[in-house]
Amino acid sequence: MKFVRPESPEAAASSLGNGSVALAGGTDLVPMLRDGLVQADELVFLRDVVPRGVQSGRIGAGTTLAELEVDPELPQALREACAASASPQLRSMGTIGGNLLQATRCWYWRLRFPCYLHGGDRCHARQGTHREHAIFGNDRCASAHPSDPAAALLALGARLQTTRRELPVADLYRLPTEENRNLTALERDELILELDVPTPDASVYLKAMDRRAWSFALVGVAAARFGAETRLALAGVAPVPWLLENPSALEQSTPLPGTAYKVEIARALVRRALASLPTT
Amino acid sequence: MARLIRTEKEVEGHYTEQWIVVDEDALDQWPAGPLQTVGKPAPRVDGRERARGEATYTADIQLPGMLHAAVLRSPHARARVRSLSLSSVLAAPGVRAVLEPGDSHVLTDEPGYHGAAVAAVAADTFAQARAALAQAAVEWEVLEPLLDPDQAVEKGSLVSEPNVSERGATERGVSEAEAVVEAEYRTQTVLHNSLETHQAVCVWESGRLDVYISTQFLWGVRATVAEQLELPPDKVRVVCNFMGGGFGSKNGPGEYTFIAAELARRTGRPVRCALTRREENLATGNRNSTIQRLTAGARSDGTLTVLKGDYVNSVGFEGWSPSTGGPMELLYACENVRVAEHGAKLNTPPNAAFRAPGFVEGTFGLECLMDELAARLDLDPLELRMRNYADSDLVDGRPFSSKNLLECYRRAQPHWARREEVRARSQGPWKHGMGLASQVWYGGGGPPSYAWVRVGSDGRVQVVTAMQDIGTGSRTAMAQIAAEELGLSLDRIEVSLGDTSRGPFASISAGSSTIPSMGPAVRSAAADAARQIVEIAAQRYHLEERVLSLRNGHIVSADGGSWPIEEITELLGEGQILGKGARGPNPTGMRTLTFGVQLAEVAVDIETGEVLVDRIVAIHDVGRVINPLGASSQVEGGIIQGIGHTLSEDRLLDPGTGTVLTQTLDAYKLPTIADVPEIVAEFVDRPDEHLTNLGSKGLGEPPIIPTSAAIANAIRDATGANVRSLPITREEMLRALRAAREREGLERTAETVGEVRSA
Repeated sequence: MKFVRPESPEAAASSLGNGSVALAGGTDLVPMLRDGLVQADELVFLRDVVPRGVQSGRIGAGTTLAELEVDPELPQALREACAASASPQLRSMGTIGGNLLQATRCWYWRLRFPCYLHGGDRCHARQGTHREHAIFGNDRCASAHPSDPAAALLALGARLQTTRRELPVADLYRLPTEENRNLTALERDELILELDVPTPDASVYLKAMDRRAWSFALVGVAAARFGAETRLALAGVAPVPWLLENPSALEQSTPLPGTAYKVEIARALVRRALASLPTT
Repeated sequence: MARLIRTEKEVEGHYTEQWIVVDEDALDQWPAGPLQTVGKPAPRVDGRERARGEATYTADIQLPGMLHAAVLRSPHARARVRSLSLSSVLAAPGVRAVLEPGDSHVLTDEPGYHGAAVAAVAADTFAQARAALAQAAVEWEVLEPLLDPDQAVEKGSLVSEPNVSERGATERGVSEAEAVVEAEYRTQTVLHNSLETHQAVCVWESGRLDVYISTQFLWGVRATVAEQLELPPDKVRVVCNFMGGGFGSKNGPGEYTFIAAELARRTGRPVRCALTRREENLATGNRNSTIQRLTAGARSDGTLTVLKGDYVNSVGFEGWSPSTGGPMELLYACENVRVAEHGAKLNTPPNAAFRAPGFVEGTFGLECLMDELAARLDLDPLELRMRNYADSDLVDGRPFSSKNLLECYRRAQPHWARREEVRARSQGPWKHGMGLASQVWYGGGGPPSYAWVRVGSDGRVQVVTAMQDIGTGSRTAMAQIAAEELGLSLDRIEVSLGDTSRGPFASISAGSSTIPSMGPAVRSAAADAARQIVEIAAQRYHLEERVLSLRNGHIVSADGGSWPIEEITELLGEGQILGKGARGPNPTGMRTLTFGVQLAEVAVDIETGEVLVDRIVAIHDVGRVINPLGASSQVEGGIIQGIGHTLSEDRLLDPGTGTVLTQTLDAYKLPTIADVPEIVAEFVDRPDEHLTNLGSKGLGEPPIIPTSAAIANAIRDATGANVRSLPITREEMLRALRAAREREGLERTAETVGEVRSA
């Protein structure tokens, strides 16, 4: 396997594909390479070319979660979501760009069952063991999106700058279709460079886990208030980060037998998140 | 003197009566309480070595020319190998040898569980071995797996005959009861997940096999390997200096040893076979899941009239059916008890002993049932337990060699009295409560076990015995015992262990038996050496032996004389004083058990199902405590492992295929340090006057036994919800809360109906 350090973001982006894979913190990629979930002949190291650090609301995609969680400039929801992610060691390596693009923890997908996301004809989790799985958008694939910061950025209405375009974070994600099983809309040779995060009047991130630390969200709830409008987004409840139109939208969820409990948790956390935001 | 006697031997709840040659145990016990070194906290003698990374674990063994093995495992829970071609594997870079079914008894072409070993390869590097295995051409005939334990029992798919035992008449017991509770409890499959994965390095030299292995029983590995490979046992040398966790799963050699031995034989090179973390989660044993259908009945004063337990142990494809009903038989003075245990044979990875196998699971069911009964009778749970205290063993009517469970309960009372204060902390959705559970287990150890003690002219002492320290602090405890007997400070004692070619036979480190088996042998060897020092001193100072003793590094006489011990030892020159000692017999006609009680304080968020354990108090009765610091560590470790078992750990299968889904530590959730509560460890610390020259029992297993029931009972106290299934995930907690609300709703409705009627 080759290891290359490109000179510019454009050079990095254009070299991707055909066995060339982008490497940032490596916390998700390295295990996937080991498990044969990603095949690579060449690793394109992004550290020299993707911006890192925070400047007036713009976050370099190469900034680590550990750096974000302590940055007083950033909205509380994002800092809390970063702090609630993974472990200190992983947060010191993992970048926000990589975090947004991390793969699902669905055990069927990780164990390479021929599932819907892998191009197969059915979701094994729906009929199988699925306590960690989705309650929304789960008719084809019941995997749950693992990122806490993604939910926070969704609630905050963040925008992404890539090597090709600018787009709202909501448009980064898509549910899989018959023709296209990808969960993101990013092109193969496209890199996230920066995030533009609006400053809310108040925001918060709450997370329910199987243990007190180092665990993916069973349910994560981000809430951000901009003037009279409050935006809610959830982690761990759908194959992609999930924007919740309003609290009662939870009643339209489609839980599986083993994930119905997540609806109950989500109701409580949404109520608490809203109650915790100071009113104007 | 060696004697031939008939005695009982117990390991992990299995008693066998046998003829044994055993040495007499002539020493009187030391007086109770802390002594010079024994009974005082001692930091690990090997702590610095281990913290610096200098300690050599099996995983650190690097031998010249060593090859690395990788194992091809069945991806199917039940299958037949239709065809297998390893020619591409053999042709792959770095590969030196391959094994297929038939080359070793541990490889199979009819795997009965996901992870069963089918073939193996040795290559220059581990990466080459793994890569080569991917070239194996296997055609599988996939068969329908049997995964449902109740169905297995129904079909008679069992690993052994059901174990049924009854005392009294349970039907009468039920009819005499004024309150009866029946409930079904379930416990999950949990994994040992030792930090050091299962592994061995094998080397053949002149017809002799050296086995470096992460093991809990050097001599058991030696015997099993010698028998299987048809070698005289003294041609097999087994080495384990430091060990990174076993918890019962490393009692035998395991498939990896035989794979490494055969590949080493074929290649003439040392071979390491070390399992990966994934293999560790698949194929190294587990605490089997259980279904427990239980009944308890009592009179209104709390006197138990009946206990009944029908247990299904989901043993797996092979293995043994643990004594899940053991606590029900042993813990309470109930005349009518019936226990039936079924060991379901399934297409799932086999179980292995795991820190008090059976009793951890059985105590969860029994002690939750007792609290449900207490609630029905409106009795205090601690009071209910004290009213049914067993003064003798009701299974076979024998007296206990010692039992201080009442003292444990007495010491629990001040903690139990905090209950109102704990409950009063409840605020908003957070409900606080407190629960307790009792513990009973074996842990008396037994013969044979031997130790030697060597004293040199510098007055330093080496304890030599081929035991193992599995990370529990055995080196330190043995050094303390020798130091105490020889009147020396701890820093003058060296303990040499971990090598069958460097010392006499020593006990398995399982069944909480290391201290009670090895400790008395070490003391007896030290006493033999002390006696010889005194003999020489008596001649040197022209005094009678009976007036001399060893204390604080000196030989002291009854008339006040005192000489540094070196004055005698330096007379040895190149000579040595050699002491030998043996573990004496167990007390005849008595039952030796360990006891304890744990109290848990929890907080439950009734809206999200989150359970926080705030504090656990553990009070255990294990006879004399050798090292209070080591003992607290054991208690902390047991409770932390118990918290994982109670709240988060769950080995999950795909229900259709029997595939193990949780193979990595992100999916299989061990507790983190953030999940660890305040832990208070107390010991009764009274020597068992009938048990050996030490009066010490083992403590490895007792602390994990009552933890889950204590937590579940605290949850009931806090919320009124009956959690009956482990782990108590948020899903289970919310389910139990919903059931409690529905029950309360029904009761309210019934009350309203009653009020309307009476109006």
